[in-house]
Amino acid sequence: MPDGTNLSSAVLERIASLKTADLAIGVATYNNADTVGLVLEAIRAALRDPLAGTRGVLINADGGSTDGTVEKITSEDVAEVPVLLLTYPVLPGQKLAVPDNDVPDKGRATKTILRAAQQLGAKACVILAPNLRGVSPASVTSLVRPILDDHFDFVAPYYTRHKFDGLVTSGLIYPLIRALYGKRLRQPMGGDFAVSAALAAHTLAPNVWNLDKGRVGVDLWMVAEAINRGFKLCQARVGAMARTFRDPSPDLSATLAQVLTEIFDLVIRDVSIWQRPRGSEAVPIVGLTPEIPLAAVVLDPERLIESFRLGHKNLQPVWGTVLPPATMLVLKRMANGQEGKFSFPDQTWVRTVFDFALGYRLRTMNQDHLLRAFTPLYLAWVASFAAEMQEARVDEAEHRLEALCLAFEAEKPYLISRWRWPDRFNP
Amino acid sequence: MWEHINEALGDGIRRVLLGVADFLPGLVILLLALVGATMVAWVVSRLTRGLLRSIKFDKRMEALGFAGLADWSPSRSPTLLAAKIVWWLIIVFGLLVGLAGFAADLAAKIAVQTLAYLPNVLVGLALLMLGNLLARFLARGALIGAVNLQMRSAQFISLVVKWLVLVVTAAMVLDHMHIGGDIVKIAFGILFGGVVLTLALVVGLGWRDLVSRIGSKPTTEQPKDESSTLHHL
Repeated sequence: MPDGTNLSSAVLERIASLKTADLAIGVATYNNADTVGLVLEAIRAALRDPLAGTRGVLINADGGSTDGTVEKITSEDVAEVPVLLLTYPVLPGQKLAVPDNDVPDKGRATKTILRAAQQLGAKACVILAPNLRGVSPASVTSLVRPILDDHFDFVAPYYTRHKFDGLVTSGLIYPLIRALYGKRLRQPMGGDFAVSAALAAHTLAPNVWNLDKGRVGVDLWMVAEAINRGFKLCQARVGAMARTFRDPSPDLSATLAQVLTEIFDLVIRDVSIWQRPRGSEAVPIVGLTPEIPLAAVVLDPERLIESFRLGHKNLQPVWGTVLPPATMLVLKRMANGQEGKFSFPDQTWVRTVFDFALGYRLRTMNQDHLLRAFTPLYLAWVASFAAEMQEARVDEAEHRLEALCLAFEAEKPYLISRWRWPDRFNP
Repeated sequence: MWEHINEALGDGIRRVLLGVADFLPGLVILLLALVGATMVAWVVSRLTRGLLRSIKFDKRMEALGFAGLADWSPSRSPTLLAAKIVWWLIIVFGLLVGLAGFAADLAAKIAVQTLAYLPNVLVGLALLMLGNLLARFLARGALIGAVNLQMRSAQFISLVVKWLVLVVTAAMVLDHMHIGGDIVKIAFGILFGGVVLTLALVVGLGWRDLVSRIGSKPTTEQPKDESSTLHHL
């Protein structure tokens, strides 16, 4: 059944005129005229020097920009980096519901890009976010080389980040995906990634990529698909994760709900797969560690603790529908400050995440309500981590996160038990 | 003369006895119908309860998003609610059968009027159920949203939302069932106006400082909310 990602005859003609390419570089855009220039510059520079001799094509899938993004990209259409412009169907409702700092229906945009890359016969396809500030020719090259030279199929970014930057990834996405699929992939939802022709062909096969849901986490879905089908994965050091955001302070609860929806949908879909792996194995990291000065991130645990206390005061009936009494008791102690220093025990945090996954699956209540009610609990974990790691160095913080990941792996039998017999543990 | 008196008395007694003889079978039929209906209702209600429990009806209703149904059910169980509905339907049916045996004309009138009014009752019940579900859904959404916005009065906001919807629902139900007439509409107007006025006062008082600051230059830099400017992903 056509899903709107089929290429038009005009695009096919343009591809025929371009003949073939070794490398396709895809950028999905939506009103990114201010930021896309840096990305284009890095792509051109990468193809000029580190990737000289590699025939590359820049593929742009635009979601209906009105700020001159497409014109800006078209003006960069030069012989050394030809540009292929694509459009994909975007419903008015999807434009209204564009996630903060993203493009409408990112899944469809990415699939359209991969289809064009396949038509071009590209050996590798890199997907780059249009708002990258720290992008450089070296980072583009880092994502491409493992596929072209070492025959990897999926390259995830490995960013250098401040210890308090990206805590949803550090404290939730990374440990959860690692425990479920048994692969230590530090940034499974980085936004930038590269795929081989083989992996692209697999995802484009009929009945593999379901676009019913406007996937925000295309990369996460791609990671799961690559692991499940036995494709070769690696991580590439790409420097700092610096981006220019349209909205500098997006709605945290909406972001969390989107991310958790993506992950929990995968947990439900891959239930027969994730119950098998025990422990986890390393995923190779390639590329040199660049020396990057990181912007300071200051966290005030007290404000976060207050947010948690407010949540605890008001949301107990909601939490109580998915969390067992033992967890509720620990949360009560935390809220009352009975333990002295504020601390969210690893085991409680892990079980809370698992219990919310089960609640999402059982549809204990409206799923969006449930996931948004998770926000104060996440802030409590951030507060606990920040309080503990305030004076720690980056490597010490990473050690702490490693301990958390091991807790996720150790508690996996709890998730399996609850998943198989939800009634047995019903609160 | 005594003959006339005796005849009149005999006629009177005969008429009364005939009346009682006419009345008694109907009463017996009514009582029998009620007893029979009670027994059938007990059996069918038990069977319904057993059947619904065997298919985990409560959990299924919860999974389908009808968790609010439990609040309207005895012992918070939709299964018991369904069993009670079956019970009362059979009892009402038995009563109508009994009345038909007791006084056919009266029973026919009651039956016609009851059947004519039944759609109003059913639609009213459906409205009540939907209103309750909607009130709970919106109240929970408002509560979670307000907590995530760090609003201290989250519970109050949630309560106001819930009662606004419930008041509208109750007015709609009563109006639909033709109960109360204009009094319901007037009472609804007063109640709804009161709730809106309360809400306006709360918002107005709460935002007084903010409104007073509009147009004036801030003298000091406001502290940044770290939790909202962090890049969590």
